Amino acid sequence: MRDDAVWLEGERPSVAELEDRAFELRSKLLHLCGTYEGAVHIGGDLSAADIFTALFHYGLRVDPHDISNPRRDRFLLSKGHAAVCMYIAMSMRGFFSYDGIVETYGKLDSAYGMHPCKVQLPGVEASTGSLGHGLPLAVGMALSARHRGEAHRVVCLLGDGETGEGSVWEAAMAARSNELGNLVAFVDRNRQLMTSHAEERVAFEPYPDKWRAFGWEVVETDGHDMAALVKAIDDLPASDSDRPTVVICETVKGKGVDFMERNLAWHAGSLGAADLERALAALEASRQKETV
Amino acid sequence: MPVTFTFGEMLSARSVIGTTLAELGETHDNLWVLTPDIGATLVEFRDKYPDRFLDVGLAEQVCVGIAAGLAYDGNIPVVSGMLPFLSMRALEQIRTDVCYPNLPVKIIGTHGGLVGNGGSTHYAVEDLALMSALTNMTVTSIGDPLMVGEILRQSMTMPGPIYIRLAVGKSDKVLYQPGEHDVRIGKGIIARDGTDATIFTHGTTVAQALQAAEDLAADGRSVRVVDMFTLKPIDEALIAQCADETHGRFVVLEDHLAYGGLATRIADVVADRGIRLNAFERLGIPQVYAGFGDDEELRDKHGYGLAATVAATRRVIAHPSWPTSH
Ligand SMILES: Cc1ncc(C[n+]2csc(CCOP(=O)(O)OP(=O)(O)O)c2C)c(N)n1
Repeated sequence: MRDDAVWLEGERPSVAELEDRAFELRSKLLHLCGTYEGAVHIGGDLSAADIFTALFHYGLRVDPHDISNPRRDRFLLSKGHAAVCMYIAMSMRGFFSYDGIVETYGKLDSAYGMHPCKVQLPGVEASTGSLGHGLPLAVGMALSARHRGEAHRVVCLLGDGETGEGSVWEAAMAARSNELGNLVAFVDRNRQLMTSHAEERVAFEPYPDKWRAFGWEVVETDGHDMAALVKAIDDLPASDSDRPTVVICETVKGKGVDFMERNLAWHAGSLGAADLERALAALEASRQKETV
Repeated sequence: MPVTFTFGEMLSARSVIGTTLAELGETHDNLWVLTPDIGATLVEFRDKYPDRFLDVGLAEQVCVGIAAGLAYDGNIPVVSGMLPFLSMRALEQIRTDVCYPNLPVKIIGTHGGLVGNGGSTHYAVEDLALMSALTNMTVTSIGDPLMVGEILRQSMTMPGPIYIRLAVGKSDKVLYQPGEHDVRIGKGIIARDGTDATIFTHGTTVAQALQAAEDLAADGRSVRVVDMFTLKPIDEALIAQCADETHGRFVVLEDHLAYGGLATRIADVVADRGIRLNAFERLGIPQVYAGFGDDEELRDKHGYGLAATVAATRRVIAHPSWPTSH
């Protein structure tokens, strides 16, 4: 039995509340990108911000006060370069101090760097960032949960470019072979890699069919529509089902900041103080547009 | 103007690689350039020779495998990417598909050492140990950005594979004027001469060793710096010569694990040839996952920064000599 009440103090947030949190998450990401002097992987942070919000503020059974509870859902950030998005989403859920992130990010001995490091930050499930590692780890954790008769889920977030790695498909096959219905992959389908757009160099299509061919349950959704993300989470098959599920989230890299959207130059970068203002204004404008 | 970065770009050696490959593409119609989505530096080649450029996306293993296939058919493939992923994800392809048949595949990339603040997933710190273990592989680590072009040009006539390691640090400096040294794969460079001790180093720490030698000169110490940019095959004669000419006092400094890289190769030569040293110290990365911070801070934290280099060199110079044999 999965017991939601254990994990969420009070009511689960509404879609409107989740949308506000996603906006706050994006603003905080831009602030970091405007104040930290090095590069931040802002493009893939912004494309995944709604997914992170839906997971950490709605879907995942996790407890910020008990990070090693054996019954928690496991979250693996396979696209580890979106670490800051995870740190901040988790800080907004009470795991970490936001000020601590902003003040120490990237500095010597900081727990928060460009890629999640479990040695420095025990609150994350694994040290990731080398693409193609998350899903195999998730299969191992899901297998262990099955073996122990535990009902939690293992959730893994991947980049679509990342799914070029062979290890992803080896893991996909292993998950199906072992009937791991407690495993859920989210793919941030922003149709960009680091240096090219999807289909330009790599033929991803027919993308959902690839997952289907590996025996996975496939859900396709708009990765920026909070109601749709919430529905996808609500509709996930029970964790004792026998088919792993992939939620393919159609997204826009750089989402919310017009000059970053679909722009290869903003895979990673750094905003100066002046451009921070410009980016925040663009974010506000895009919210206005969407609420009209 | 916002500053944008693309990971894998070399802030200083980048243009050298780009222009050198574009130039070599003209004289070698069998030169191919392949990359696993780290192609920002390769645009010039890509635009000039689109049908000899291949970006396979996120797929290091297949990138090296394809390069080997091309090389079997008489082509000269250059694989350019980020070294932690090329040297580890594609290690078996490098070993079995490239080195075993001794094919002329060049592996070149960035993120050698504790550079770029990426964390331990993104630091190649054991790559030179891995690559040096491979039969037929030539292993280099380049500090001077202009030298990268020279090494690429020389590698065109090599029958077998070569690994070319770069950092990405802000400390990448032009170290030598073109033509100042006779740069040859397999030969070390005496970057600064001296007689009290030798600092052997490679890659991004050459600049640091030169600075240490300069600091020590201020109090009358004469320190030689050898840029041992080829780790394999190692310049044995130069090691023996430095033992003779600098009183058998060696420091080895590297942005790599302290065991398994240049220090290990030099120690092997010393042991195998029975070279008598008075003192030997190695400075490099200890066996830890190093954490975040900028390049300089990380070097200081892990005991191979500038101050540590100066201190180790002083110790080596002060170390008592063995009684001279008769
Ligand atoms: C194995 C590996 N190869 C290369 C990289 C460098 N890299 C980091 S992000 C990235 C592009 C990833 O594209 P995608 O998975 O689509 O992520 P997103 O577009 O969502 O940022 C690359 C090539 C890496 N981190 N790991």
